[in-house]
Amino acid sequence: MPELGTFALLLATVTAAWAALASYNGWRSASGSLVLSGERAMLATWGLVLGAALALESLIFADRFDLEYVASYSNRALPRMYKIAALWAGQAGSLLFWLLILCSYAALLIVLNRRRNRPLMPVVTTTLAVVALFFLLLVNFMARPFVGLTHPPADGQGMNPQLQNPFMAIHPPCLYLGYVGLTVPFAFAIAALATGRLSESWFRTTRRFTILSWFILGTGILLGGWWAYVELGWGGYWAWDPVENASLIPWLTATAFLHSVMIEERKKMLRVWNMTLVIVTFLLSLLGTFITRSGVISSVHSFTKSDIGPMFAGFLGLATLVSGALLVYRLPMLQSEHRLDSFVSRESSFLFNNLLLVGAAFAVLWGTLFPILSEAVRGVKITVGPPFFNEIMVPLALGLLTLAGICPIIAWRRASPERLLAKLRLPLGAMILLAAGLFAGGVRDPYALVSFSLCGFVAATTLLEFAAGTRARRSATGEAWGRAFVRLIDRNKRRFGGFIVHLAVVLILVGITGSSVFKQEQVATLKRGESFSIGRFTLTFDDMVSRDTANQEFLGARLLVASNGHPLGTLLPGQNFYKAGQNPSSEVDIRSTLSEDLYLIMTGFDPQAGATTVKAYLNPLVAWIWIGGAVLILGSWLAILPDLRERRLAAEARLRAVESYAQA
Amino acid sequence: MRRPDRQPLAGALLRTRSRVERAAALALVLSAAAALPLRAEAIPAGPEREKAALEIEQGLMCHCGCTDLTVRVCNCGVAAGIKDDIRERLGAGQSRAEVIAAYVARYGAQIRSAPSKQGFDLLAWWMPFVAVFTAGAFLVVLVRRWARQPLPAPAPAEGPAAPRDASLERVDRVLRDIL
Repeated sequence: MPELGTFALLLATVTAAWAALASYNGWRSASGSLVLSGERAMLATWGLVLGAALALESLIFADRFDLEYVASYSNRALPRMYKIAALWAGQAGSLLFWLLILCSYAALLIVLNRRRNRPLMPVVTTTLAVVALFFLLLVNFMARPFVGLTHPPADGQGMNPQLQNPFMAIHPPCLYLGYVGLTVPFAFAIAALATGRLSESWFRTTRRFTILSWFILGTGILLGGWWAYVELGWGGYWAWDPVENASLIPWLTATAFLHSVMIEERKKMLRVWNMTLVIVTFLLSLLGTFITRSGVISSVHSFTKSDIGPMFAGFLGLATLVSGALLVYRLPMLQSEHRLDSFVSRESSFLFNNLLLVGAAFAVLWGTLFPILSEAVRGVKITVGPPFFNEIMVPLALGLLTLAGICPIIAWRRASPERLLAKLRLPLGAMILLAAGLFAGGVRDPYALVSFSLCGFVAATTLLEFAAGTRARRSATGEAWGRAFVRLIDRNKRRFGGFIVHLAVVLILVGITGSSVFKQEQVATLKRGESFSIGRFTLTFDDMVSRDTANQEFLGARLLVASNGHPLGTLLPGQNFYKAGQNPSSEVDIRSTLSEDLYLIMTGFDPQAGATTVKAYLNPLVAWIWIGGAVLILGSWLAILPDLRERRLAAEARLRAVESYAQA
Repeated sequence: MRRPDRQPLAGALLRTRSRVERAAALALVLSAAAALPLRAEAIPAGPEREKAALEIEQGLMCHCGCTDLTVRVCNCGVAAGIKDDIRERLGAGQSRAEVIAAYVARYGAQIRSAPSKQGFDLLAWWMPFVAVFTAGAFLVVLVRRWARQPLPAPAPAEGPAAPRDASLERVDRVLRDIL
């Protein structure tokens, strides 16, 4: 089986190289058969990589500890779900997994575009095949998953305990699906640049892929936060770790693209900018993988470090050079007339939204890479951690939030200040009322006041858009409120899907603000029967609890939770001791409600004294982050689904074309 | 308040390779630290001192090696030791800056959870805002210029418009209203 996997990967290198060469030459020489051969070679590459991934999975399931990878990341007692996840627990496996996703996207694109986008497809295949070839070279020669051991151990070392969590089983696949999905718009952008077919069709084709990748990446980031929250046991969900940052940066630039592409659709402007955003987003997703996998910046996520750094840096440089050169070469064709009807318009507000989104991406990138700069310039290693990012990102995030409130109500083309002010009256009133209410309720923290008030403002403008649309539809069609509301969204999925995403961002920011500004913390060492309080909760240490399973031994402290004298049940924070010999991992217990999370960590125990040390956090509103995540998924799906309005516009455009042809 | 600048010493400590060299450098740093006149602004015990301790915890990274967390949130034994030490130092009359400086002298600038706000490190803090404001100013000029460009005259209608369904017209009107 290991030989089969190795052979499949070697053969896949040959087929991917052929796919790149044949597609490129087929395009240059306009040879249909070569292009077809290239596409088939890419499909074959997908089959071979899938075969290699399945081979590695079957070796993990067969407990073949004569293989270095299996011995390092699995053991006999590892539950089945984590044996599947072991594929992406280590360096070589995760690179193989990345490759599998890339080849799957490529195969899907080839199948979906058998009749569409034919002029672009050869270069799309070439681009995807070159990226696949790079990863194939990595898994064949640098980080090989099928390396044998001369002295196989009786049992494997098992998976890092922190990775043994259901969210961890889905968080990396989500991130990878998002990261790799961003290669698709990049491949289409390169194809448009190379072929000179720079009409809007390339981004119309890839827009849905971009939203899909953007939303999967966003979901992956949120799942990562959830994992950190329930598994890492420090009471938070985002630590501004280099790897977390690396996933946020391309997400921010992709968000900028999803907004600015609307201006290109309407005004045929910003073509160079949009192309640049697509290219930069791909390069940043590659940089993200580089940071995750190379260990170039020390991070909690760099579970494995190796010497693939220089190769990654080289490929990143090559991709930057080629795409930059193509962009410069096609600049004359991309020039468009830039005209705006007014400074106060939806178009210009989107430009400022792009400024802040790209500015935020730059700020995170700058902070993430600054330690390297500091070491190179001064020879001094420094850390750029949470205090830096919190200070830099809060103003940018608040600026973005303000724009998210204003953008939807500014008219396209030209907004009259009077009408804008009339539309702003109600949301501004809501914002002031909310701020006054919060102040009267005892909220004095300026950040919390500004953030919550702006959240109220954005929610009000967005909800008013829903209300105005429903009312207009109702008066035009005479439909009932409910039906008019549903049909309004159904007929304008992209627009209202986007608004739902804005509401999701508001919910997430409410959660982030609440849990960071009003967080409370208590540490107590308790003997049986002793209590301590945090917020409205009283926690009483009841007893120690131990559980023994095949994989691990759990030791926890059972605490009775009461609020104002009313018992609310028990919580059981503890620690897992893994039999495979790794360090124990903290198993937190959380009582989650919409208003706050009571988050308990058992940081120590003394069997002789019968005492335990418990750290308790009170994290207000944190549940709204995860609810916001669910709303984000809903809104994104709506925006991805086919839109009646879009179809009608396309049909009308076709009709006009036919009519003008008939008249000619 | 004067902040003792010990970064060159910390840099020397970092650049040294062998254990003996490090020990010698550490001794040098500590003796230099001891020789510096302490201008302690003792923080009185109570909530103010606890607040200072929490701020310092937030300003230092835990060097336990298992995570990338600040001392404030890390739950390991190393963090617990640092927390005790911070309170002890504050109790002995050291100021916030002095406690942090002592840790920088001992573990290098890397122990700080964010760059200092002086010298080269200022670049880290200023660059994002300089970039956003410069790009913003540029954008304002650009958008103003674009908005001043004369708009092209509307293209004449091509041929007679196709007869349209009245209901379609009405839906169009509604859509125009709300979009």
